[in-house]
Amino acid sequence: MPQLRKDPILKQWVIISPERGKRPSDYKKTIEEPDDSAECPFCEGKEHLTPNETLSFRTAGTDANKKGWWVRIIPDSEPILRPEGEPGREGFGMFDAMNSIGVHEVVIESPNHNSRIHNATNDQVREIIWAYKQRLLEIKKNPSYKHFMVVKNSGAGLSNFTHSHSHIIATPIIPKRVEEEIEGAREYYHYHDRCLFCDIVKQEQKDQMRLVYENDQFIVFCPFASRFPFEMQIMPKSHQPFFEMIENNLVQTFADALQNTLKRQEAVLPGQPYNMVLHTSPCSDSYKDFYHWHVEIIPKLTKVAGFEWGSGFYINPTTPEDAAKALRDIAIK
Amino acid sequence: MPQLRKDPVTKRWVILLHEQKKLPADFKIEHAPKQTNKCPFCPGNENMTPFELMSYRSENTLPNEPGWQVRVIPNRFPALQIEGDLDRMGLGVYDMMNGVGAHEVIIESPNHEDGFHNYSSEQISRVLHTYVERYRDLSRDRRFRYILVFKNNGSAAGASLDHPHSQLIATPIIPKRVMEELEGAKTYYYYKERCVFCDIIRQELSQGERIIHENESFVAFEPFASRFPFETWIAPKDHKDCFGDIDKGEIDGLADIMQATIKKLIKTLDNPPFNFIIHTSPCGEHCTDYFHWHIEIMPRVTKIAGFEWGSGFYLNHMSPERAARFLINPNYKG
Repeated sequence: MPQLRKDPILKQWVIISPERGKRPSDYKKTIEEPDDSAECPFCEGKEHLTPNETLSFRTAGTDANKKGWWVRIIPDSEPILRPEGEPGREGFGMFDAMNSIGVHEVVIESPNHNSRIHNATNDQVREIIWAYKQRLLEIKKNPSYKHFMVVKNSGAGLSNFTHSHSHIIATPIIPKRVEEEIEGAREYYHYHDRCLFCDIVKQEQKDQMRLVYENDQFIVFCPFASRFPFEMQIMPKSHQPFFEMIENNLVQTFADALQNTLKRQEAVLPGQPYNMVLHTSPCSDSYKDFYHWHVEIIPKLTKVAGFEWGSGFYINPTTPEDAAKALRDIAIK
Repeated sequence: MPQLRKDPVTKRWVILLHEQKKLPADFKIEHAPKQTNKCPFCPGNENMTPFELMSYRSENTLPNEPGWQVRVIPNRFPALQIEGDLDRMGLGVYDMMNGVGAHEVIIESPNHEDGFHNYSSEQISRVLHTYVERYRDLSRDRRFRYILVFKNNGSAAGASLDHPHSQLIATPIIPKRVMEELEGAKTYYYYKERCVFCDIIRQELSQGERIIHENESFVAFEPFASRFPFETWIAPKDHKDCFGDIDKGEIDGLADIMQATIKKLIKTLDNPPFNFIIHTSPCGEHCTDYFHWHIEIMPRVTKIAGFEWGSGFYLNHMSPERAARFLINPNYKG
């Protein structure tokens, strides 16, 4: 059973999973090129190579774990958190630990090996978002999970599979980064009685210079204090704490914003590996006034050096205004 | 002038080097370390660097000439600039200020092939004395709130040159990661009236299972909640809040433990890229009771994926207890 451990200084939790049994020599190679030649377990017709699906959108009359799906969600075969067992919270002297209880699933975004979000049909992107929403609502029924997020690692060096996919991860604690966002947003709310994210949306709409794209309900922009070059955020314009409560009519416009953003990124930085994270409010109503769900997209362009790690103080060589201009001005199909 | 910007949500400050005007195309190539024939850090090439700020050199040799053992120069591509005022200002919900600070390079040895693992004990002490001296000098500048001494070793760890060097950055703000440590340590102190680091060290020394090396004044161990495989911390055993207050005897002890620790990491992980960073109390603000200076060493052997940066929740596939066993015992097979 992997373990969660908490740093007593930073209050930061870590998953220790010694079962994966890595030896020092396993770390010597840092870049693992995805192995594309072998059978891809995410392709249609290879369903027997994966654990049983937890959700799929499929043609009427087809069986679970067989062909006929267009979006499919499965448990990760090497999960970092597992749904079975007790939380097992325990102290070791001054240290705190608990079991790594949670959910770790893979969303296979298309039956087609070469489809990517930026070149999929708009309908397909909408279906992926429906799948996120449905699965998150189901996971949320378990009260032991405090928070969940959707994460996408795309491209060589970031993922072992080239087949387009993302992860759903539910955790028994609120992760540090989200906790920090909550703290910041809460302080602002107590002072101003307004949602900080809503204020950012308004200011970005007014300033224009960091805006990448907008439609009726979403804006895409490069954050004012971007940590990385070409970092982007997608945010609903109206105040919405929970992604999983997204209304039906917003699913389509979110799909449009997401796809448009990734198309722009692909046009400006072709083939660039990137990470994407969807942050939504923890599973409790106590944050609903000041938390606002959003998506962060980070192309992996720069190396994070000792200074950034050790200080949490990032050095970014591109202004978000320049990045936004390049992303905004590029012609996309 | 580079700019500092603050993220209003996480309170994280960012240095913006907008003057470099980087374009998308600038990022398309993986920059391997530029191994020009002439290394600017080698003796004889002093004219390729800015003028030195200090050096340890043989008698009767001139500044910016060969004959030095350790040499400190301003960084040619500084993240922060030394001249100017901070000019703090607000823009709607956002806050910013000028990127005023110092960015120096400590060339650790005249020998291009050297490293912390094979320096003589005199050389390593000279390097540490240099850190202390630069630290003390810059901490007198009232614009600076914090001084970070760190090392990027290997291109995957962010080093652009192979010649052994470390860096120092003086910042006008307390960096986020350090602020978190200060806050955490302060909370613990208010609750228990003890230094959290002293408590950690006591527990580590009594349990022993995560200790890598110890001598009279210092201990090296794998933290209980290591973020990375083989992450290693070195801390003084006695309560000391400020790195700048280290004395001569302690420098010798630190030289011993740094060399022993880095040797173990290099042997176990076959010369991995690594970073180390010194965390100490902020300038002019001695956190006498609750903070405890230490060095964090991070071998760069894993990739950080979306989950880690999106959550601040790290995945580590090596328990620190096991990592400690690999490090202390070269014959340990796991």
